[in-house]
Amino acid sequence: MKKSTEADTAMSKAAVKISADLLSNPLCEQDQAFLDSMTALDTAMRRMDSFNQEKVNQIQKTVIDPLKKYSSVFPSLNMAVKRREQTLQDYKRLQSKVEKYEEKEKTGPNMVKLHQAREELRPVKDDFEAKNKQLLEEMPKFYNSRIDYFQPSFEALIRAQVVYFTEMHKIFSELTEQIDQANLTDEQRERENEAKLNELRALSIVADD
Amino acid sequence: METPSRTDSSPSECEQGEVAATEVTGRDMEDVDVLEEDTEKEAGEEVVKDEEAGKRAAGELATQRKLLAIEELVLTERNYLRHLRLCSVTIRSNLQKVQPPLANLDTMFLHIQEVMDVSERLLTLLDRGQPSNPGFLSLLCDAFLSLRTDMEAAYREYLAGYGNVTALENSYKQKEAVWQEVVKVVKASAPEVNASSPTFFLVMPVQRIARYPLLLQTIQKHTDPRDPAYLALEDVARIAVDMNCKINEYKRFREVADKYKKTETLSIRDKINRLNGHSIAKKTARLGQFLKHETGIVPKVIDEEFDALAGFFCVLERGITDLHENVENFLGHLQAFLACRPEERDLDLGSDRGVVSYREITAALKQWIYPTFERRVRTLVHRPLCSLREMLAGPRNLIRKRLDKLLDYEALGEKSGLSYEEQAVAGAYRTINALLVAELPQFNGTALQLLWGILGAFSCLQRDLAADTEQLFASYTHELPHSLLEPSAFWEWASAAVCEEAKRLDAIFQNVQEELNAPIVQPLSPSSQRRLQVLMERHSPEKIYQLTRHVVGSRELDLTLQRGELVALVSEMDTRGDRRRWLVDAGGPRGYVPSSKLVRYRQVTKEVPPSPHFTTAVGREAIRRHSYSPESHPFVTMAMPCFQVFAGYDFTARSHHEVTLRSGEPVKVLEPHDKRGNRDWSLVEVRGRRGYVPSNYLAVLPSVVAPPTAPFC
Repeated sequence: MKKSTEADTAMSKAAVKISADLLSNPLCEQDQAFLDSMTALDTAMRRMDSFNQEKVNQIQKTVIDPLKKYSSVFPSLNMAVKRREQTLQDYKRLQSKVEKYEEKEKTGPNMVKLHQAREELRPVKDDFEAKNKQLLEEMPKFYNSRIDYFQPSFEALIRAQVVYFTEMHKIFSELTEQIDQANLTDEQRERENEAKLNELRALSIVADD
Repeated sequence: METPSRTDSSPSECEQGEVAATEVTGRDMEDVDVLEEDTEKEAGEEVVKDEEAGKRAAGELATQRKLLAIEELVLTERNYLRHLRLCSVTIRSNLQKVQPPLANLDTMFLHIQEVMDVSERLLTLLDRGQPSNPGFLSLLCDAFLSLRTDMEAAYREYLAGYGNVTALENSYKQKEAVWQEVVKVVKASAPEVNASSPTFFLVMPVQRIARYPLLLQTIQKHTDPRDPAYLALEDVARIAVDMNCKINEYKRFREVADKYKKTETLSIRDKINRLNGHSIAKKTARLGQFLKHETGIVPKVIDEEFDALAGFFCVLERGITDLHENVENFLGHLQAFLACRPEERDLDLGSDRGVVSYREITAALKQWIYPTFERRVRTLVHRPLCSLREMLAGPRNLIRKRLDKLLDYEALGEKSGLSYEEQAVAGAYRTINALLVAELPQFNGTALQLLWGILGAFSCLQRDLAADTEQLFASYTHELPHSLLEPSAFWEWASAAVCEEAKRLDAIFQNVQEELNAPIVQPLSPSSQRRLQVLMERHSPEKIYQLTRHVVGSRELDLTLQRGELVALVSEMDTRGDRRRWLVDAGGPRGYVPSSKLVRYRQVTKEVPPSPHFTTAVGREAIRRHSYSPESHPFVTMAMPCFQVFAGYDFTARSHHEVTLRSGEPVKVLEPHDKRGNRDWSLVEVRGRRGYVPSNYLAVLPSVVAPPTAPFC
């Protein structure tokens, strides 16, 4: 997700660079019309970039940060699961000890040892069961919460883009009115480009030697 | 199965469909049989059985999902048609009744009929089979294929005209009273739907056509590649995407055609067209002056005009080169952007409207909107730039050559009567010079025009991209609950919602956090027990601490210890008086650990608990029992026959009031307190003798345990 926003920002910056370089080119110095249109292009690109930045910021706040937070929960959960595992191991160990004592001859000291072992077992067993129960409760809750958790993020994501593209549409419509040739289809543009290129090719100075 | 009542769909088409359906079902019966045979063979092999069972389970899940996806397609199509009918019939007739009459009402509903027709035909074809039938998928593909051209034609017209629909609605919105009427009509006609404007319904075809590819792809995702209909399905999904591209292209074409009807105004465009060689030459001469002034040298070259031209050319060259690189850069980033696919990570977030919308939007963006943009940028901007840049090489080389020849020429000086070679050199220079002077202006001019055109195209492409995306989003905004809020309100809501969710997450998670930080409840490992013994020899019990976290020593004299290790406290501060660093004894090494990681260790009383003789408060409290040592309920009355009291530990009588105990002996408790009522001591009878013993030395054990048989001595 982060890479996506980074690439997006880079794209926007590249667009600004296009116009900035053009503006700084001395061509503008001597042709007012060219200067005007390049200025317009540059302004448009810069405005787009600032909108893009805004969009990225908003996405950062409402999507990327929550995402990070959500995923930071996982390590803790894993730890808790591991602890439970450990407790389970202890529980099993003590359980087998108790059973071992139960099988032994029922002598006095053995009885006492057995009793003590049982006493030892009890809190550990309780602890394990508590941990187990808790995890069984928490994890489904956590899993189920994800839908509600992310819902605002998605909406924000969409909304941020809506705003951005609406602005983009407006800005570029204006710009196109200003500097573009009469609205042509793609084929017409291609043909015009080809025609100009052919004109250039026809010049003898262009022939490669 | 309703027979279509239109006359334009030929009867042969219906029959074909029917025949196809039966053929399909017939074929599938065979498949089912074959399938059963295979299953039996597999069942016979034990080793592979589990694996196959697992695969089958996964396969069943996929089949289920596939079925759900198919059903969704059919169901949503039905709903869609129903809504469209509602809109075009009910709402339309009600709107017609509004007084004063609404202007141009018919243009709103101009193309909706064709769209409805196509949808109805699709449903008819689909109704010939059951989604759960294995042959249904083939039926679905055939239906799409047969309706493809008509679908494209109908939606194309509709989408091209949709701009007019929104414009018309906006014109209604201008007059408050009129708009209120309209909204009332809409709400009254469709009470069960949460609609607030006619466009709620009218935008549905826009949404629908974009959704087909996604629905089909979902089905495809869950279909086994070996399914006979898989290839057809792949085809249909691809066709759906193509359809969308073509429809968008057509829309743009129509927009351009419409604009020709508007009158042209004098603008920069016209200025471009006025460029010609003469004006260029003039301007380049000016540039020449400019350069001269800048550099401050009198040019040795006689030909100012040429210098000016060459200067312009250089500048142009630089502009083109820069632009070319920047555009390539831009395209590179665009590709990187498209390569990231965060939306494909399936978080299994179910079917919340926001999530589904987001996925569909992003898929649409990535699948045809952005690729189209990229393609056009490449064709209309990048490629011409590449060609132009290549062409720069020719003039550049020639200019250089001319300069060389000029130097040669100048070196000849004012000689009269040049030799043949010298004449050749002079001739060469003059030719090149003349050629350049003649043709450079034209080159410069045309190149500049081309450049301008390219930039214009770039801007136009960006606009189209924005327009397409905006329309795509517009079709989804109806579905999101908060889309009608003003921007600032929306962002307030969004950040508030995010905070709330974060808090909730924290709340859910608090318990686990607390649990993690809880002190360790564990019996001691043998190594810890040994450590404890060692420490106990040197320190008093209240100085025993346990590590709650791992510590890693960073400074000199810092210890590196594990969580759970036992240490004895030596000093509560370090040599500099820092109270957060405590000096501890780790059973050998000594060093510093952070005090925040230590917690008092309450010990197991494996050793003999002090008898109540020692009533020093410190002693009593310092060694608090760990929770699992026998401390509770030593007071058993004789009335509970199911329990038997035994001596838990050895006890040596020190006075004649007391009696000696051996661990494990059965005792009989006569009184659970002493003469003064002190419960610390109990009067017991053991081996025939009576006396007081510490109550906490007694253990209560269930008497399922048989009383000891061997006598004790």
